[in-house]
Amino acid sequence: MNKEIIKNKKRGLGFYFRIYCKIIAQDLKSKMSYRADFIISTFGMLLTNIVGFMSFYILFKNFPSINGWNYHEMLFLYGFSLIALTPLQCLFDNNWNLRMQVESGDFIKYCFRPINIFFYFISEVFDVKGLGQLVFGTGVLVYAWTCLGIPVNIRIIIQLILLLITASLFMIAIMNVAAATCFWIVRSGYVMIVMFRFKDYARYPVSIFDGIFKIIFTFVIPIAFIAYYPGIVILRPNEIPLLSKLSPLFGILFFWLSYRFWMLGAEKYDGTGS
Amino acid sequence: MNEEKAIIMKNIGKDFKVLNRHEGLKGSIKDLFSRDYNIVTAVNDISLEIPKGQIVGYLGPNGAGKSTTIKMMTGVLEPTRGEILVNGCVPYKNRAKNAENIGVVFGQRSQLWWSLPLIESFRLLKEIYLIEDDEYEEMISLYKSLVNLEPLLHKTVRQMSLGQRTLSDILAAFLHNPKVVFLDEPTIGLDVSMKAKIRDLIRELNKRKKTTVILTTHDMGDVDALCERIVIIDHGRMIYDNDIDHLKSYFGSYRTLKLRLPGDKWVEELIDESKTDAMSVISEYQKKSKILDIKLEEISTEEVIKKIYMGETVKNEKISGIDNSRDDKDLAI
Repeated sequence: MNKEIIKNKKRGLGFYFRIYCKIIAQDLKSKMSYRADFIISTFGMLLTNIVGFMSFYILFKNFPSINGWNYHEMLFLYGFSLIALTPLQCLFDNNWNLRMQVESGDFIKYCFRPINIFFYFISEVFDVKGLGQLVFGTGVLVYAWTCLGIPVNIRIIIQLILLLITASLFMIAIMNVAAATCFWIVRSGYVMIVMFRFKDYARYPVSIFDGIFKIIFTFVIPIAFIAYYPGIVILRPNEIPLLSKLSPLFGILFFWLSYRFWMLGAEKYDGTGS
Repeated sequence: MNEEKAIIMKNIGKDFKVLNRHEGLKGSIKDLFSRDYNIVTAVNDISLEIPKGQIVGYLGPNGAGKSTTIKMMTGVLEPTRGEILVNGCVPYKNRAKNAENIGVVFGQRSQLWWSLPLIESFRLLKEIYLIEDDEYEEMISLYKSLVNLEPLLHKTVRQMSLGQRTLSDILAAFLHNPKVVFLDEPTIGLDVSMKAKIRDLIRELNKRKKTTVILTTHDMGDVDALCERIVIIDHGRMIYDNDIDHLKSYFGSYRTLKLRLPGDKWVEELIDESKTDAMSVISEYQKKSKILDIKLEEISTEEVIKKIYMGETVKNEKISGIDNSRDDKDLAI
């Protein structure tokens, strides 16, 4: 009896953090042993980013400014969105496998452990190739930052980190919701792909879009929170909209809602016959 | 009383709402809001009490409702009707708490971390189930005494053969010393010697740790080797609950006696042992001629089960007449 009380106490945040570190450490170790796979996927990710950047570059070669946003400001948002995407790609990549596991019935194994299902599922994959993107994104951001002559001080760095976390939460939340649709919809693969494509719009200032899209990208599929609303805090410190100030709160709320949605699906999951 | 029973089910039933699905992406969005359901009853009125430490064979043809029952016992599914208690707690209400006291193995689906060496999977499980160091060490040394563990420990699950993987999964399921272990077709796809190894392991762990084992299988070898008790369900209803010997006597205690007589011809005699015994038949023959060879064949569990699945169940009065020493509730129907 006594033992059980101790046990219940131990499965708090510290417990999950400890397990998470162990799983990631083990996973990394095993990934490193497949060296060719590791190198090729990292290289591929870098290449994808370079190609993506090329099209961005060509666009701005021809239009030096879009709706009052100049090349370096756009570059700032571009780098910002790449960094904000990293936690999603490194830590939440298993969402891409959710549909397959749900369909085949393999997902049921996550229901048999005395730990949180979402945590158990997500912790299983740590994707290193996202780190290549982090390096690339940081490079772009630092370059844009210096060109724009934005001052560097502690306050602004802390601001930047908070904004990046906020942006990541939105990105993760969108993909959580998209992935979790597979609990209800059979062909939910589309939903994820479409949502993931949407993130490409995230790097453009939402002010360049038409009214209807502005509303959609702010309130329905909130990709405007991935770069624009947080980015504007640093880029245009004199005209920060209310939505930017509220974005950390929205980020947490939206992430929590996406988690609840995911869990709702997982709890109603009953597996396929076997 | 609850203390002595690992599992108690009372009039358990489970209905599924099956959505009439629409085609295409547009259709699937429509399905999100659709109320167009059919109700399918997967399991109906199952009552079962399983004492601690018993190995129960849970049998039934495909689609009989075995998995559904197991899912209700593991807390994945909530029963539509009836009461269920596993180790004194209601599984679907306390999925995580229930999970601490059970172990689950699905023959075809490994639950271990695919890319990790077995020893690392064990260490993670030790963390997840909060297993004490000494208990963990004790379990590992028990494992080492039962199977040749050393070559497996540093292999990743991905590199293992099916047999090794199943073995590892079973070891992982028993690691936190759960009170009940569910084994779903643990020997599926394995060769004869591996099957024997797995059966020995299960029997040994059950004996040492007093673990209750619920075994679903289509392999009657598993049943013969392990199960003290058999529960058979079909079409979601329980049609048999008793021990294995009674199962055979469903069809009378028949044996086939084969005798080779001079001239190289075999004679077959069907013997109903409730009326006469094999020895007297043999001596009858011996009076008439010389006997060169003798074979005595039992009706196999497999044949009995096959007959039951095919609906050739003996009439009800015969079933209830079999056994008076046990409680009536042991005999469903």
